[in-house]
Amino acid sequence: MNVIITFRNHENPFIPIEAEMITPDAFLEEKNEICVAVGNRSYPLSEVADFSIVGEASSVDDIEVLIRGDTSRVKRVGEYMSGGAITIEGDIGMHCGNFMSGGRIEILGSADGWLGREMKGGEIICHGDAGDYCASGYRGGRRGMRGGSVEVFGSVGDFACEHIAGGEVLIHGNTGDFACAEMKGGTVTILGDTSRVCANMSAGTCYVYGSAVEMIPTFEKKGTVNHDGVLFHHFRGDVANRGNGDLYTVHFTYLQ
Amino acid sequence: MAEILLKNAYVIDPISGINGEVMDIAISGGKIVEEVSSKPEVIDCQGCLTLPGGIDSHTHISGTKVNFGRYMSPEDMRAGRTAKKGPMHITSGYSVPTTYGNSYRYSALGYTTLVEGAVAPLEARHTHEEFKFTPLQDSCANILFDGNWGMLRALEEGDIKRAAAIIAWTLNAVKGFAIKLTNPGGTEAWGFGKNVSCINEKIPTFDLTPAEIIKGAIRANELLHLPHSVHLHCNNLGTPGNFTCTIGTFGHVPDLNDKRQTLYATHVQFHSYGGTGWSDFCSKSEPVANMVNFRPQIVIDMGQVMFGRTTTMTADGPMEFNLYRLHHDKWSNHDVELETGSGIIPVNYRKKNLVNSIMWAIGLELALLVKNPWQCLLTTDNPNGAPFIKYPEIIALLMSKRYRDAEFAMIHQDTEKRVPLPAIDRELDWHDIAVMTRAGQARALGITDLGKGYLMPGAEADIAIYPIKTDEIDPSAEYEKIIQGFARTEYTIKRGRVVSRRGDAIIDGENTTFWVKPKVPAAYDIQHDPTFMELFERNYSVRMSNYPVQEEYLHRNHCIETETDL
Ligand SMILES: [Zn+2]
Repeated sequence: MNVIITFRNHENPFIPIEAEMITPDAFLEEKNEICVAVGNRSYPLSEVADFSIVGEASSVDDIEVLIRGDTSRVKRVGEYMSGGAITIEGDIGMHCGNFMSGGRIEILGSADGWLGREMKGGEIICHGDAGDYCASGYRGGRRGMRGGSVEVFGSVGDFACEHIAGGEVLIHGNTGDFACAEMKGGTVTILGDTSRVCANMSAGTCYVYGSAVEMIPTFEKKGTVNHDGVLFHHFRGDVANRGNGDLYTVHFTYLQ
Repeated sequence: MAEILLKNAYVIDPISGINGEVMDIAISGGKIVEEVSSKPEVIDCQGCLTLPGGIDSHTHISGTKVNFGRYMSPEDMRAGRTAKKGPMHITSGYSVPTTYGNSYRYSALGYTTLVEGAVAPLEARHTHEEFKFTPLQDSCANILFDGNWGMLRALEEGDIKRAAAIIAWTLNAVKGFAIKLTNPGGTEAWGFGKNVSCINEKIPTFDLTPAEIIKGAIRANELLHLPHSVHLHCNNLGTPGNFTCTIGTFGHVPDLNDKRQTLYATHVQFHSYGGTGWSDFCSKSEPVANMVNFRPQIVIDMGQVMFGRTTTMTADGPMEFNLYRLHHDKWSNHDVELETGSGIIPVNYRKKNLVNSIMWAIGLELALLVKNPWQCLLTTDNPNGAPFIKYPEIIALLMSKRYRDAEFAMIHQDTEKRVPLPAIDRELDWHDIAVMTRAGQARALGITDLGKGYLMPGAEADIAIYPIKTDEIDPSAEYEKIIQGFARTEYTIKRGRVVSRRGDAIIDGENTTFWVKPKVPAAYDIQHDPTFMELFERNYSVRMSNYPVQEEYLHRNHCIETETDL
């Protein structure tokens, strides 16, 4: 089954649309009417987008959803999805792929904050940048991403992978402040630069191919290791949290 | 306003001396009246148990600390979600629900008045704003004075009248109801990284001991003729062996008031611990209950612990730090300038845990060993011991020995050697429960004069009608029916209107906030006192003129003016 959803330009682009029903799982149920919330009102999807469904599906993995048009303020797309695929041609709003457990989301533009928050499985590929809290937990939560993979070709904002407890994240660009704060598991690879990385980590592995600036001072330096043909400084910590995480970075500077 | 006639109500109204009479109750203009004139709406109660509206004399439902509990625990906010239904807003949260969640769930249990147990004066605005959105219950705010520098300095100088004047000004300024002391001196010491170990130890910043602070506050409270007594959270909460401290504190309380107690000690379960550490931790409910039995000037509430997840929140910052060191989980710590502090930690009380099992037993023991139900009120220190939605289970545990034994068989097996509970046969009756959940609270809070806690003409028409026929239930054996019956009223009536029907709120409601204004002579008007103004300007981050909570933060409210002995 192929679903094509084209969002129309809406009158007031500052009013967010909450679209947690846009998942392959929802389209598998034929009787399901897909509704979205525009501000504090609920509407059928047809109020804000044109959409067509071609073909049938016997399982969620047979469903591909293509989303076009003005989607930069459409939130929660793919929340709790368990299979199938969603492709977004433009930018996507906050909380895309929250709690997803399977399937694949590909974003050709950029993603706003909370991309893949608390995801458990599946795959997210973002060709542009991602906002703050990419692959993280919610504020006050104990655990962020737990499984699956996230790849961002651009850069990400602050608090990337906060509380991450499992899965793999690959960031081709740079991160903002406090990437991998409270890290508890999983593997994060940052090809660019990062700042105050891995604060309070207790477990997990983080590779920084660029420079870790303003390194947290409570990490124990273990020497250098060769990984993938690149020489990394190896740190263990965060000692302040009795942590046992591994941080590998090519360059680093402490806060002056 | 509409008139209602309740017919065939099986009434237990301890304040009016009614213990199980079938009668009619006439309601007009929000009050109970002798008779209704025109054609009233008639509700046939069919002999169902009809009690005055429930009153929680110590709960945490509104304010900065409660709100921080909400936002540090997204997992708690995700639990207990309910959708919009009729006039009911969306709610979320389990142990720390949203304001509407608190209000609807309390109303389903038949509660019509709530006392927020601890409000830092500087942050009282937030509490009043949340009261406004807790529309189905009247509200009162206990104001924290445990580390109030103005009051402590006056007590240090031995000037009780000046301390009373500062209390009066503050209560009036922040629209508060009563004096709360939380770990007096200890929370103040925590501002300097310390605590106090018992009531006779000097605190680090003033030449005072906790005992002197408590005694001073009690005398100031009575000089101001406040409706409620001093409301005390004793020192050393949660520490093995702390019962000596609790008993020592009770020993200092004089009997100064003939209408009510002179000291209200809250969540005493957390203060009745024996042992020298966690390995020999045990119940000391017997000596504490004995002390209460000998001292009519003391009223306590249980602070019952029930098993499951909840959130602890208190102004007792150092105690929460100790909990943090045990759990090594989320922790919030907060300092409130010259006044107090706070801490918050999520917890999970487990049946498999010996300490938690003993705590569960102690709360029940206190309620069963204090002979006079007017002296031991039913609370969980919501949400510290458990969320208030557990009240029906607690009522059933108190009414049924068989239920207690069944639960006892499920908890940690070593509990038996550490607590007296299995040997206690007492089963409370319906009248005892009516006292411990509304009448006792009304009298202890001093709000019977405002029409609270009874059902005679002149009283506020706050009424809870439960689907319970007392003559058809054997509480001792059919404890499941008690739990079901108290979990959801047939009707909850608030100020003459049906606000809740079979668990659902049916109107938006509008509550009243009660606050006190002691009439202080000009010589004791602290507003223009140069020393107090200087303390304020030098040490507070806000100006004195910006400090009082403006009347627009209150909505419907009732000011209780008191004559003073200043
Ligand atoms: Zn409390």
